[in-house]
Amino acid sequence: MNNSDVMIQVKNLKKEFRKAIKEPGLKGSFKALFKPEYETVKAVDDISFDVKKGEIIGFIGPNGAGKSTVIKMLTGILTPTSGECRIDGKIPTQNRKDYVKEIGVVFGQRTQLWWDLALRETYMVLKEIYEIPEEDYKKRMAFLNEVLQLEVFITSPVRTLSLGQRMRADIAASLLHNPKVLFLDEPTIGLDVVVKDNIRKAIQKISEESGTTVILTTHDLEDIELLCKRIVMIDKGKKVFDGELSELRRRYGQMRELGFELKNSEDISKLLYKDEFSFSENDLSVEYQGSNVKVRFNSDIVSVENMLSYTLSKVHVKDINVKDADIEEIIRRLYLGGGEEVETTLSHL
Amino acid sequence: MMRYFRMHKVFIKQDLKKLMEYKVDFLLGAVGFLLEQAVQLLCLGIIFSAIPALCYTENGVVVDSWSFHEVLFIYGFSLIPKGIDHLFFDNLWSLGYWIVDKGDFDKYLTRPINSWFYVLCEKFCVDALGEFIIGVALVIYSTLSMPENIASGILWWRVLPVIAVMPFAIMIFTSVKTATAAISFWTKRSGHITHMCYMTNDFAKYPAKIYNAFIKSVITYIIPFALTAYYPAIFILRGEAPWSLPVTVLVSVLLFIISQFIWHKGVSSYESAGS
Repeated sequence: MNNSDVMIQVKNLKKEFRKAIKEPGLKGSFKALFKPEYETVKAVDDISFDVKKGEIIGFIGPNGAGKSTVIKMLTGILTPTSGECRIDGKIPTQNRKDYVKEIGVVFGQRTQLWWDLALRETYMVLKEIYEIPEEDYKKRMAFLNEVLQLEVFITSPVRTLSLGQRMRADIAASLLHNPKVLFLDEPTIGLDVVVKDNIRKAIQKISEESGTTVILTTHDLEDIELLCKRIVMIDKGKKVFDGELSELRRRYGQMRELGFELKNSEDISKLLYKDEFSFSENDLSVEYQGSNVKVRFNSDIVSVENMLSYTLSKVHVKDINVKDADIEEIIRRLYLGGGEEVETTLSHL
Repeated sequence: MMRYFRMHKVFIKQDLKKLMEYKVDFLLGAVGFLLEQAVQLLCLGIIFSAIPALCYTENGVVVDSWSFHEVLFIYGFSLIPKGIDHLFFDNLWSLGYWIVDKGDFDKYLTRPINSWFYVLCEKFCVDALGEFIIGVALVIYSTLSMPENIASGILWWRVLPVIAVMPFAIMIFTSVKTATAAISFWTKRSGHITHMCYMTNDFAKYPAKIYNAFIKSVITYIIPFALTAYYPAIFILRGEAPWSLPVTVLVSVLLFIISQFIWHKGVSSYESAGS
């Protein structure tokens, strides 16, 4: 990768929070007041990645994975505990005022618009804050109008806008100064299908026409499939996947899920897939609950046929099915992958 | 700097528009404020209807005394810097009460302007105009109705240095609010600390001499609100305490630097809120 193509560079980024440990109830609160105990929580633990100019990347992970913390460090809101991030060569917390001119931020859950005033007023204030020349402002407004259809509600007070309108207005507000990088933290949260679709199209168009680099966090996998070529997935503060969506499919696309119900739930101990076949860590996972067993395995290494015949030769089953893993399933698995339950069953087998 | 003035103007304009959207709220606020001031003045009037003058005694000997008109003058004067600070920089209160706690401070950090300035000028508190106007009116009224023997002590050229020092007096209010509001970056909420410190300015509405040594040194040196009210007022009235003017400048600059230091430390410890 040519170095000049890199827009965002994140190197060994870490963020720790000190959290007071409180026992439950009022008594616990009192105790914590007089004898506070703290623990250090690693919200972001040694994350590195690069983003190219003009790229749209999907930043995904389960709730509490540290996505927002990373975004807040990239936008200069939080100061990293260690490590660094550079955007267009600039470090967010140093010379913050210069830096934030290059970025636009939308937090889906809270608005940056002036709540009590007509939407148009927000844009007037932002024009002043970002010192946008009149001519650029007009051009930019016309473009955003076209992409996000703001005209219908630009004279309404912000508090009267619907969620979909508000989100469009917020995205426009973050793009008025033509930033190089746009951070979208859950831009489609709580929106209906039609509005979601409009917003996705708008993001795509903006990225194409202005060459804006976009970092998108979302729980909606359709956002990812439609917008992002590349995804970075984090879990428990660590990066667990970084690559193209197709790579994720290729890598985990061979995964099959074998589900069956045992006649006798104690038979589970007879199934020793790891000893029978030479699976590596990532190629096999086994979960069971009572007599229901789910085996996820890489069909490149062991064919479905072999897995089936081995299973049937060892145990009696009531019911059996084999499933392909779709993208949603893959991601769900990856989220669960860090879960302790899965790890313990793995070591058992 | 010019840019910041221009932006402040924009923010004030926005707030005035907002005011027009919520007329009833504004009117009720203004009436409430007037009532509050009226009650305080009434109390002052009642006290002085029972006594001829406020006296400070040492071992039973009257060392110093202030007439009703002088106390009224000091009281009115104290409202001027307080009102100006209140008018322009009121938003600092919200910081300690909810902005930091709710994670709303994020917004201020993603704009290319000084975060302190942005918080400061986002709200224009028109209610405070009442405070300022009442202050000026009281100063004028008390001066005009003063008995000849007191009025003759006033030398009008003394008003000029006091006006020159006024911005520094205002800065004392702003800095005290800034420093205490910034505590919320660590504690999430600090509105009550701000309130506690801010309320000591009530002591400064009366002659500082009447208090015991502890309160007197608090309002002169620690939370130096006496420098914003009693000392400049008594300087105008009697030419006493001329030292207080340079001290006000010094203390104010010092407080400003300390409060900025706390603010910047605080911003880098800001933890936002989960979303």
